[in-house]
Amino acid sequence: MTESQNILTAATPAAPTATTPEPSTAAPKIQPAQSANAESIERAIIDQSAKGPVLTFFSTAIFWLIVSTFLGYVASRKLHTPNFIPGPEWLYSILGVEGIVRSIFDTNFTYGRVWPAYNTALIYGWCSLAGMGVATWLIGRLCRVSIQSPAVLQLGAWFWNAGVALGVVMLLAGYNTGLEYFELHRAARACIFVGYLFIGIWGLILFRYKRTAAPYISVSYLVAGFFLFPWFFGAADLLTSAQLPGVMKNVINAWFQGGLFNLWIGTLGLAAAYYFIPKVINQPIYSYNLSKIGFWSWVFLGGLTAMTKLNGGPVPAYLVTLSIAASILMIIPIACLTVNFSRTMAGHTDKMAYSPTLRFTYVGTVFFAIAAGLSVLGALRSVNSFTGFTTWDYGVKHALLIGFFSMVMFGAIYYITPRLVGCEWLSRTFIKLHFLGTAYGGATIIALFLIGGLATGFTLHNPTVDVSAAYTAREFTFANVMQDAGAYQAVKSYIGYTFFGLAQLIFAIHFLFMRLRIGQPAGEPTLLANPGEAH
Amino acid sequence: METPSTLFTGILGAFIVSTAAMVLIPHSQLSGLQPQVVWDEGQNAPSDVYPSKIEHSLGHRHGERIFVENGCFYCHTQQIRDPQFGPDIERGWGPRRSVARDYIYQDSPLLGATRLGPDLANYGWRDADGKRFWRNELPQAAESIVRNEAFIYKHLFNPRARISDSNCPSNPTLFEQREIGSGVSPGAVKIENGKQWVPTASARNLAAYLLSLDRSHELREAPVAKKEAKK
Repeated sequence: MTESQNILTAATPAAPTATTPEPSTAAPKIQPAQSANAESIERAIIDQSAKGPVLTFFSTAIFWLIVSTFLGYVASRKLHTPNFIPGPEWLYSILGVEGIVRSIFDTNFTYGRVWPAYNTALIYGWCSLAGMGVATWLIGRLCRVSIQSPAVLQLGAWFWNAGVALGVVMLLAGYNTGLEYFELHRAARACIFVGYLFIGIWGLILFRYKRTAAPYISVSYLVAGFFLFPWFFGAADLLTSAQLPGVMKNVINAWFQGGLFNLWIGTLGLAAAYYFIPKVINQPIYSYNLSKIGFWSWVFLGGLTAMTKLNGGPVPAYLVTLSIAASILMIIPIACLTVNFSRTMAGHTDKMAYSPTLRFTYVGTVFFAIAAGLSVLGALRSVNSFTGFTTWDYGVKHALLIGFFSMVMFGAIYYITPRLVGCEWLSRTFIKLHFLGTAYGGATIIALFLIGGLATGFTLHNPTVDVSAAYTAREFTFANVMQDAGAYQAVKSYIGYTFFGLAQLIFAIHFLFMRLRIGQPAGEPTLLANPGEAH
Repeated sequence: METPSTLFTGILGAFIVSTAAMVLIPHSQLSGLQPQVVWDEGQNAPSDVYPSKIEHSLGHRHGERIFVENGCFYCHTQQIRDPQFGPDIERGWGPRRSVARDYIYQDSPLLGATRLGPDLANYGWRDADGKRFWRNELPQAAESIVRNEAFIYKHLFNPRARISDSNCPSNPTLFEQREIGSGVSPGAVKIENGKQWVPTASARNLAAYLLSLDRSHELREAPVAKKEAKK
């Protein structure tokens, strides 16, 4: 059976040719399987064919990761120090550019401009590009096909990048559509869409020419993500550019967000998690049926949950009710996924001490459970009346984006890159620091968005003394809310974004070393601890 | 693993369900929405139409664009919720909840999703006579505030001049420096060394846009809360 063969030979450390080694970050003590030598050669050939485009995806994604983290830090600072300018001001005055810098940060980097730029760089830049890079590699692996005409993919990646760059610059310059998470200017969206056509159609063709129907649920998730993204993105683009009655654009905007977060970012992340966890621990997934139920319920419900953010708003009431019902039903896929991940890992958690891929991926799935659970909780009307209109929603989105998705992507990049460049990661300390900064810095960001949101929510919800005095009483001031929120924002910038950002810088440098082929010799994977070492 | 055809059919089905429920049905519901028309007995013309289809001036649309460009809607919502969802009305942000009919003539309503600042759905209404101010905006001031253009200019130039803890960005680029010349201009926000900072066209249009925001008109589906009756 192909499945068990694939899994058993997952961590074959054999290096079939000098240029295309097959290193492994899996747990040690796995015997090389002689019988699978042909397969590992085939895998090496597929890896080699994927090298160019996948590394382009990773490099540009990491560039956007650094950009978005910087923008996120600025956005966070702007919420508690609105006149913030990064960097030493004496340097600017020496260079004589003080006025220019001040004017740029007062005009182009105000919260209202830097926040959408941050989200765009994070979602369309880092998350989408990293996700597509991992997906490209996974499709080649799972369908056992070499990547034909990688130039098409490269072109797609560069179109996509040009779109994101254009979008971010135009947002800072003030071109905003007024629709959250869809702020990109139409020209930028067109670039992204053309880029996607190159990438996505190529991916679907590859799927068509697959040589095996790999019994991996990852394939289903990848197909769903790649198939649904252009529909949501394209439909949202056409519909928001059309003349529509009143609040329809807000409804479409929310609908698009459901597709973007659940069915694009979510499915790509889950595809990677479903591949790498069983792969590294060398075990099949706990229950295939459970994963199928999880997949279909996720795909069907994922597009229906987004209207909860319009709770109480001027939209047809049934939309919100339907979304709340769908959000509660989301417990089904969340339970299936969480049970599957945790049961698969049962008895193998000790391997997280060695394998960077496993550590990142598994912690990512824990963040997934948190993010998904919080979004169910936040959908309930009683909770929503406190959390609605606060930063709580940003917290849930960040748990999905930087908690779950980014962690899984880091795990995947740690696994894939050595197989493409031909050397191993230089330093386990770098990987450890990256993990610590991402996990704890990210958790700080998420927690402070959530706690700050709750605090603001309770203050905003504080029923005023007396209805008759509604226009005159002065006990409660908005300044109080801002003080509350400001304190949380300050901790978020100084601890959350600083640590998260430093970790990403280390990661970017580490990845740059890999691109320059500065690393450990191929063959022996860089593990976080030697087998048998106390940890 | 499903066969590819099952997989594609299923995924397409998921997209169709989502689009039908979240886009097509609400569209058919909302596209039929008409203004509320009130006919008095014996009259040939309606005595009241809300919302009325007025062609917004270029200045108004420019003001709205400035509002979007600077991302004001990330912190300032433009929707009032029913009391069961939160005390928006008690807070004085508006006399009634907002409904879909309020926005039928708007191309892209800026409902907003986060409140890091006060709601602006009825900013112009709150200002009508300087008495219906938003009480929570007044930390210390004893006098009622008339929110006219001059008030908005001061806020845009430096929000911390009035509320020291405000996290709203200053927008100095909405103002330009001029010689005082014959006298201080009416909207000047700062006078220093014989120069004055006066609002640009962008700031003037933005102020006009904000003052035009008024969704207080009584609607059948959203009656005005009876509050002031107790006074």
